Amino acid sequence: MSHEKDKLSAEAKNIPQGERKESRKAFIKEVMKMPGGEKILECIQCGSCAGGCPTRFAMDYSPMQIIKMINLGMREEVLLSSTIWVCSTCYTCTTRCPREVNFTMLMMSLKNEAIRKNLVKDGVNAKFHKYFFEVINKYGRMYEPELFFKLLDKTDVYSLRHSASLGLRMLRKGKMPIKAPKIEQTPWVSKMLEKTDEKGV
Amino acid sequence: MKYAYYPGCSVKSTMKEYEESAKAISKVLELELVEIPDWNCCGSIDAIYSFKPLYAVALAARNLALAEKMQMDVTTLCSACYYALARTNKILKEAPGIKSKVDDALRNAGLTYNGGVRVRHFAEVLLSDTGLEKIKEKLKVPLTSLKVASYYGCFMVRPPNICNFDNAEHPKRLDELVETLGAAKVDYYGKTRCCGGSLDITDEEIMLKMSRAIFLSAKSAGANCMTTACTMCHLNLDAFQKNVESRFDIGIDLPVFHFTQLIGLAFGIEPKQLGLNRNCVSPKKVLSSTVAQP
Repeated sequence: MSHEKDKLSAEAKNIPQGERKESRKAFIKEVMKMPGGEKILECIQCGSCAGGCPTRFAMDYSPMQIIKMINLGMREEVLLSSTIWVCSTCYTCTTRCPREVNFTMLMMSLKNEAIRKNLVKDGVNAKFHKYFFEVINKYGRMYEPELFFKLLDKTDVYSLRHSASLGLRMLRKGKMPIKAPKIEQTPWVSKMLEKTDEKGV
Repeated sequence: MKYAYYPGCSVKSTMKEYEESAKAISKVLELELVEIPDWNCCGSIDAIYSFKPLYAVALAARNLALAEKMQMDVTTLCSACYYALARTNKILKEAPGIKSKVDDALRNAGLTYNGGVRVRHFAEVLLSDTGLEKIKEKLKVPLTSLKVASYYGCFMVRPPNICNFDNAEHPKRLDELVETLGAAKVDYYGKTRCCGGSLDITDEEIMLKMSRAIFLSAKSAGANCMTTACTMCHLNLDAFQKNVESRFDIGIDLPVFHFTQLIGLAFGIEPKQLGLNRNCVSPKKVLSSTVAQP
């Protein structure tokens, strides 16, 4: 990740100052068009979002800082931050924001942007979204065993043992599905995807 | 009363006992839950939305289109499904650009959706339509041995413009239900604090810390059990409770009931019919002086 950051900031240094200013403005405009970013300029930096955030302890930048960074046009730093992936989408910040910034929705939009621009650090985060989508598109409903197997890191003994013990616990209680679900209209659900994909998302 | 019932994926796999208990108490309260035929994934709050937002909205809209034909309110047991479905109405109404694309996608699946379906959490149906009075009438076994920490989590109360089951910061309707059932309510700090359900797979360490905070605040406030109204919250607090204990080397041992299981117990329904044998943390000890063993 640090490597990507270095590369990006080196690129940024080579851009003439006038252009840099333009690209900053462009980022703010882009964010304002995203779901959740509409009111980003209304932020008064009161910190209600950061104060109430239950995952702040694991973030590199707090929600309040991310908003300030967006307003400063710091595209790479925002998209490469751990904040957007650590957000648990609990909506505490959005509920408490006195300026009606929908920060939670913005986190989802920025995840989407980071995935599309391929600005994702290594690890399970982007894979999780991809595999989740693949399972749903295949069956129409969630099939937990397939998602777990896709995500399982076969080189990590701790996580293997750990996943196995949770899987067994659920299996013993009759709560781990063996048979995959299937809905009648599964092919039509995939067809819906073609239609939404066509139009550019 | 009749409702279009949206089960959601979890209720059919990892949370079977939630559906079992909901169906058992619906029978007693004369509620008819008609399952939406051929329903699909709700689109999820963030898992698919962050990857393909339009597709996620289309998935939710397909369920609502199927329900619209039934001409009933939609009700669901899972708070996450509740929010994912309920926000769809708002998105389609406020973003005509998205609506036209979703309409196209639905047409591809042979469906149309006009936006007229009301989505409601099953807890809201029980407390608003059926009412505490009627629940009290059916009460057979007061749950006097229980000191219940009601856990509301996120999507029963947040964001408040969509999920308005109760006050976003100080909800109390589940606590009122608990008291109606003869149990004692426990006030504690963590009742609306996120348990980290969406990080289960991607960042377990963070999730375990979040859940620990909830357990500790419930325990220190004197609770001997918890109740939830969401599949994701229950998975975290019940199935992962052992992981929290071993990760931080602490004892928790708090049985976690679905709120429907508590109602069923108070109605005198057999514990097995309520799926109590499927709860990972055994509730035997806290129930020993109240009801027959599961």
